[in-house]
Amino acid sequence: MIESGSRSVIIFGYGKFGRNITLSLKDDIENILLIESNRDNYNKALQDGFTNVKLIDVTDDNQLEKIQADKDASFVCVMDDDHLNVFIVLSLKSVYPDNRILAISDSIHATSKLKMAGADKVIDLYAISANRIHNILNKPIATRFLEGFADKSHDLAFRELHIPKGSFLHGKKLEEIDFYRYGVIFLGMIDTELGNSFIFVTSGVEHKLDSGDIIVCIGHESDLKRFEKLILEEREDYPI
Amino acid sequence: MLKKKLSNCFKEHRCSLELSEWIISVARKISHSQKYKHIKHSVKDILDNPLNPWKKYFDITIIFIILSSVFILIYEVKHPLPVWMDFYDIYIVSLIFLIEYILRLWVYSDMARDLVDEYEKSHFLGRRFRLWSALSRGLKKKLEFMVTPATIIDLLAILPAYRPLRVLRIFVLFRFLKLLRYTRSINQFVEVLSNKKFELLTLLFLLIFIMMTGAIAIYVLEDTHNPNINNMFDALYWSLVTISTVGYGDISPVTEMGRVISMIIILFGIAMISFATSVIVSAFSEKLHKLKEERIIDDINKSEEFLIICGYGQMTKMFFRHSDASRYRYIILDKNPKRVEEAIKDGYDAIEDDASRYETLSRFNTENSKVTVLCMTHDDVENIYITLNAKHISPKIKVVVRAGDESIVNKYKRAGADHVLLPNETASTMMSVAITRPTMYKAIDAILTGKNKAILDEVLIHGYSNLIGKYIKDIEFRHFKLVLIGIQKNSDMEFIFNPSPDILIEHKDILLIMGDKRSIQYFKEVNCKDKC
Repeated sequence: MIESGSRSVIIFGYGKFGRNITLSLKDDIENILLIESNRDNYNKALQDGFTNVKLIDVTDDNQLEKIQADKDASFVCVMDDDHLNVFIVLSLKSVYPDNRILAISDSIHATSKLKMAGADKVIDLYAISANRIHNILNKPIATRFLEGFADKSHDLAFRELHIPKGSFLHGKKLEEIDFYRYGVIFLGMIDTELGNSFIFVTSGVEHKLDSGDIIVCIGHESDLKRFEKLILEEREDYPI
Repeated sequence: MLKKKLSNCFKEHRCSLELSEWIISVARKISHSQKYKHIKHSVKDILDNPLNPWKKYFDITIIFIILSSVFILIYEVKHPLPVWMDFYDIYIVSLIFLIEYILRLWVYSDMARDLVDEYEKSHFLGRRFRLWSALSRGLKKKLEFMVTPATIIDLLAILPAYRPLRVLRIFVLFRFLKLLRYTRSINQFVEVLSNKKFELLTLLFLLIFIMMTGAIAIYVLEDTHNPNINNMFDALYWSLVTISTVGYGDISPVTEMGRVISMIIILFGIAMISFATSVIVSAFSEKLHKLKEERIIDDINKSEEFLIICGYGQMTKMFFRHSDASRYRYIILDKNPKRVEEAIKDGYDAIEDDASRYETLSRFNTENSKVTVLCMTHDDVENIYITLNAKHISPKIKVVVRAGDESIVNKYKRAGADHVLLPNETASTMMSVAITRPTMYKAIDAILTGKNKAILDEVLIHGYSNLIGKYIKDIEFRHFKLVLIGIQKNSDMEFIFNPSPDILIEHKDILLIMGDKRSIQYFKEVNCKDKC
């Protein structure tokens, strides 16, 4: 099964991370449920205009069961207290064993504990920043390039593209496609024939693109948009 | 010339108004001269600033001269001295020491400035300017310097040059003491002991008291019975030899009472020696920590480029877990002794210090080394303070700072931070990407965290590169399992994303590529001619 973006998200915690995440998700995801155990944070969520907020005792399994999450809902555990996060992940894993659980960790020890407790994805708070320092110290051009993605005025972006049925890319080998012509750089893909894992183009394995695959490219927004439109076409009629 | 004129003037005890006006105008000229200031500053720097790159050579020269002079003293005992050696010892060595002494005296204070200041002050207050009092104020400062032990030693070390008095030869030993100024370990030893001045002085007085008592007792009791004790000096000599538990035995008590006195002062002697030992040992164990820290700082100051990492928290730990971390010279500063202890336990160089203090950061060689400060503490207020502190000490210091949230980034920028990290925001963004676009998340995460399979790296086209003169289409990046992201042309320093295949690669261009660590390594090796 290919991981695809969730349509429904349940966020535990509206604290230092929860708030940011909720605000950035609210445009993409219709169905967000906020869960808090702290009354202050609960009130803050209501003030920010979210109606779908519940105040429960998160350590109680019965109350967790009452949430009745869908099968495809993702859980996000971002309570301010690390210990509580691990506890919630553990409880959720037993109540909803099939759902995806994501968490943020702010220490090396917490990362491994969250993973042991059953979190599917643990985002380390410092891993990216630590690597950025190394880049700043050694690779000024790579630093500027990566900072370009964060900068709103800069229009470089990452984009994941689903290859639809009947696309001209269907059945083509990677080496046959000249991505430069479309102004984008191909980074990697998920090949449905090979399962769920992401394969970087730099792993050097030859792949054939099929409909249903997901590819990831970087490029300027305009080029990416044009390319996205183009792969819907059956035949390639791109002006050379 | 100035000083000569002054002395003439004072001999006459009549300092005319014109003379003082003339002196002030000269002093003013001197203190306003940029060239003079510059020369004085560089002389002072070489003499006193351990970070000055030339000081090392200066020190080595002086140490060599000192050792050669002492060698000559020893050699002279049994051998006739060759003429050139004698000449060297009397004139060259002494002259160098004399010049050094005068230079030190000169740079210690600014006499011209003092004079001008004094003149302006009296002018301002409407008081009559008195040249003598102004001069004495300036000379007082010089005198202050002249009576410091190190300066006295310097002066005594020049004296052996005066040959008519043979006894002055022994002052060559003071040249040996001059080494104190030039060797750090002896210096530190003295410094450590001077911290225990009170204890050591007390001990010394006690020792003198007991020694005197013992000497007087033995003199009174045995003067008539003991052929070896003829005067008070013999008694004192015996007393010290006994009390120090050396006990040569050339003088020993012969009467019963004398032996009793011996026994008593031997007991005192043992007590005193152990006391002295413990005072010195404790002085060192107290200071050992500080000495070690100073060594670490001195070491790091010698490197061309280093990091000052403020705060040993999760971020710093994560930074060190990266595979690149071992290549840096660094030092960790933390206010919290517990975290310093943790860092040392984890095997890192750390010292307990507050990086927001001026004294802390100014200890580092910010002038001659490329310093980067990483402010990694959790506290934004402290980070801002450290940033300002670093930028205040030298704008050359690069500051990378970790910010708590986005609203404060502007403040950091205004404080002068070169890069602001936002771990919380980044993590939140990554979380949203992970939820909405899990495939893209994997790509971004691998690139941003620098996982081995997707490292972004820069390839500088150096003079020996095979790639010079090739077009981008000529390079089989696919064959190398690499992706070319962009190129920075040396000609206009512009970064071209996804460059056209028809771009020519030239000397000093930089390629930005992505790929597995091994592929990048291989690519760099292959595209190198034999020379590199």
